[in-house]
Amino acid sequence: MAEVIEREERAIEAPSSPPLTAKEAKSLLFTPVFDDNPIGRQVLGVCSALAVTTKLETSVVMSLAVIFVLALSNVSVSAIRNHIPSSVRILVQMTIIAALVIIADQFIQAFAYSISKQLSIFVGLIITNCIIMGRAEGFASKNPPMHSLLDGVGNGLGYSTILIAVGFFRELLGSGKILGVDVLHLVTEGGWYTPNGLMLLSPSAFFLIGFFIWIVRAWKPEQVEED
Amino acid sequence: MKPLRDLLDKQAEHFEEGGKLEKLYPFYEAGDTFLYTPGEVTRADAHVRDGMDLKRMMITVVLSLQPCILMALYNTGLQASLAYQNIGAMGTGDWHIWIAHALGLSFQPNDVLSCFAIGAIYFVPVQLMTVAAGGLCEAVFATIRKHEINEGFLVTSTLFPLTLPPLIPLWQVALGIIFGVVIGKEIFGGVGMNFLNPALTGRAFLYFAYPAQISGDAVWVAVDGYSQATPLAAYADPQQMDFSYTWWESFVGLIPGSMGETSTLCCLLGAAVLILTRVGSWQIMAGVTLGMVGSALFFNWVGSATNPMFNVSPAWHFVIGGFAFGTVFMATDPVSATATRGGKWVYGALIGVMTVLIRVTNPAYPEGIMLAILFGNVFAPIIDRVFINRNIKRRLARAK
Amino acid sequence: MQNDSIKKTIFVAVALCLVCSFFVSLAAVSLDEIQKENKRLDMIKNILVAGGLYDPSVDVQAVYENKVVPLLIQLDTGQILNPEDYPEGIRVGTYEIKKMAVDPAFGRPVDPGEDIANIRNRPQYIFVYQVMEGDKLQRVILPIYGYGLWSTLYGFVSLGNDLKSIRGIAFYEHGETPGLGGEVDNARWKALWPGKRAFDDAGNVVLSVIKGQVDPKSAKAQYQVDGLSGATITTRGVHNMINYWLGEEGYGPFLKTLKQGGGRG
Repeated sequence: MAEVIEREERAIEAPSSPPLTAKEAKSLLFTPVFDDNPIGRQVLGVCSALAVTTKLETSVVMSLAVIFVLALSNVSVSAIRNHIPSSVRILVQMTIIAALVIIADQFIQAFAYSISKQLSIFVGLIITNCIIMGRAEGFASKNPPMHSLLDGVGNGLGYSTILIAVGFFRELLGSGKILGVDVLHLVTEGGWYTPNGLMLLSPSAFFLIGFFIWIVRAWKPEQVEED
Repeated sequence: MKPLRDLLDKQAEHFEEGGKLEKLYPFYEAGDTFLYTPGEVTRADAHVRDGMDLKRMMITVVLSLQPCILMALYNTGLQASLAYQNIGAMGTGDWHIWIAHALGLSFQPNDVLSCFAIGAIYFVPVQLMTVAAGGLCEAVFATIRKHEINEGFLVTSTLFPLTLPPLIPLWQVALGIIFGVVIGKEIFGGVGMNFLNPALTGRAFLYFAYPAQISGDAVWVAVDGYSQATPLAAYADPQQMDFSYTWWESFVGLIPGSMGETSTLCCLLGAAVLILTRVGSWQIMAGVTLGMVGSALFFNWVGSATNPMFNVSPAWHFVIGGFAFGTVFMATDPVSATATRGGKWVYGALIGVMTVLIRVTNPAYPEGIMLAILFGNVFAPIIDRVFINRNIKRRLARAK
Repeated sequence: MQNDSIKKTIFVAVALCLVCSFFVSLAAVSLDEIQKENKRLDMIKNILVAGGLYDPSVDVQAVYENKVVPLLIQLDTGQILNPEDYPEGIRVGTYEIKKMAVDPAFGRPVDPGEDIANIRNRPQYIFVYQVMEGDKLQRVILPIYGYGLWSTLYGFVSLGNDLKSIRGIAFYEHGETPGLGGEVDNARWKALWPGKRAFDDAGNVVLSVIKGQVDPKSAKAQYQVDGLSGATITTRGVHNMINYWLGEEGYGPFLKTLKQGGGRG
């Protein structure tokens, strides 16, 4: 949470009234992708990143759902931020988020049924995804809607980047496929590749996320935390 | 020996700072200190003198492993020969057998030498692959981080092959040791900073990544296509397998299993060396054994009509699977184990209890010691912390 | 109005709840039909896969309607019910084995002594599917389920028109270890099943899923299927499941009814 609070202060200092400059917009949108990644740096929303990334397809759908919920919850919270009584602030945010998640879940069930079966409860669990609460409370409740929208989409993109990267490697190494298409020819089907079973188990996502953080911090050493 | 020393000294300039091979200093240092004691010695006034440096400690562990290695060679060959006799002549699809034939070896269980030779055909490539792949990783990290190649790897690379089944594909050996070295050790900062035992981390990786090649019953006897359950698996599943080994066979280690961990006897020899030289902690070994005996007796007492593992006696738990090997060589790894005196007992007992718990109640993973030790490793810092804080409190109380 | 006044708090809370519930209901109601249709198509697809009729390029709905006839049977007696006699609450499109098995009105507990497939409860009525080619019975597709290592496996097994040989097997839901028990989904393994004989001449279930590989020269080869390598317990689960469901406790009575020519259509 420390990260979130820090960022929130930074955001308040910035001139919070529109118009939004192009530079600000770019920063809101892309800072969360590598510089301040919600999973990699803020270490939020890890649970779902472990659960839904056995396949690229489910990772992509989950990412879209999270971007959708995150963007709209940020906008909604921001739009009524001056009218939310502080005593029920968290409840209001939760209600908005929950409603958005249910709507997203209904759409996935209607238009991507086989994926919704694989995602099972994890779409519903977006409600408890700390990234969304974190952005609503930490950013959207203090900034205008346009800023909040970009912040929501940006953080969603940061989450998606990791989810999709993890999903890509887990599916490739664990099943020899990408989006269900055979890439590495499996031994069990007469080929040469022995699938790595660990990749199909949730802990492998920990390793992959760890590698991702390692690579990013080797590339941007300023992200390394002080002991 | 003088000319050798001179030769090494002459080469030193190339590797020291400013030399053209500066980047490769770790290789030079490793070779040099392997042959001689380190060049840097303490020069300050007062210090405790003890011949026991890290290198000597590691060498002692490797020495204590020699009985297990010999047994690995002999028993792997023996089991292969027995299987070969049982199923008669067979194709030469497996390259091990092809080599054995090319060398004119016959699969005679009674011929001790030929058993050793056949065992070597299986064991040596695994060992070489471990050293090559793991050593490369070590060297890369040593070069990037500009430190010396640590002797810790010597132990890791000796332990790792012993925990593998004879028919493991060599590329998996490489992947396993690389994972063990990188994830189990290097990402935490190298030897001394790791909280998991690297050899076990590598084995656990293989266990979950490629379960078909490291569990089941087709991999333990070094003849491709010949199924023979380990006694541990046979115990867990008497409906489908007949159990035909005596306790003594199991104790001596003439049973199928991972190459180096079948023989409890050899592990006890190793334990004697480790305890006498004070390299391995006897408290940990005793703790694991007590934990195992206690929990095994508990399960015996509870009993179960459907799960035969409930009724396995402590004496059998002691000789089957990797219990003895893990207890003696893995649990006592000074880096990943607890360091406080009381903590060693708690840590050991935790591993013993977890081992039996996993063996008895988990349907999928009959071998518990590997996961139990990794579990113990994770808890070791917390256990130590509790004991250290207790000591601090006690002393503060005394000071008042 | 003060933001933190009680009035405003209540007003915001009520207004927010109304707005949110409106959008949620709108989504739920308007998408309900599509979701139900998805569920139905998914089930149909599973049935076609087990019956060996699935072809991704062809409309599953059309194949199903042309060739597959669902029959509701009473498991204990093997009796086939006419659509007009279906109990209240049981319909082809909405039937779910899982719910029916534990429903006090439609399921019953299985006697532990007979429960070799480790299913605990089973439905009293169950839909089976006949595959017809014109008027001729081609296959019978039977739902099966049972416990493996970690989870209950749900699937279908299909029998040929002699009612003795297996035509196919497919699981649509399970949580077995990927790479080991999870290989029940492996197309190569599933391809071992068609042609195996499930019953001997006396009508006893003799099919067994053995540990290791079947010796093709053995006289028993036609009654045996290779086990899944490295997955002893899942293999045994599949074996038990087949033996339970094809045996007297399972579809035995129904298969007898069929043989006596009681089948409709």
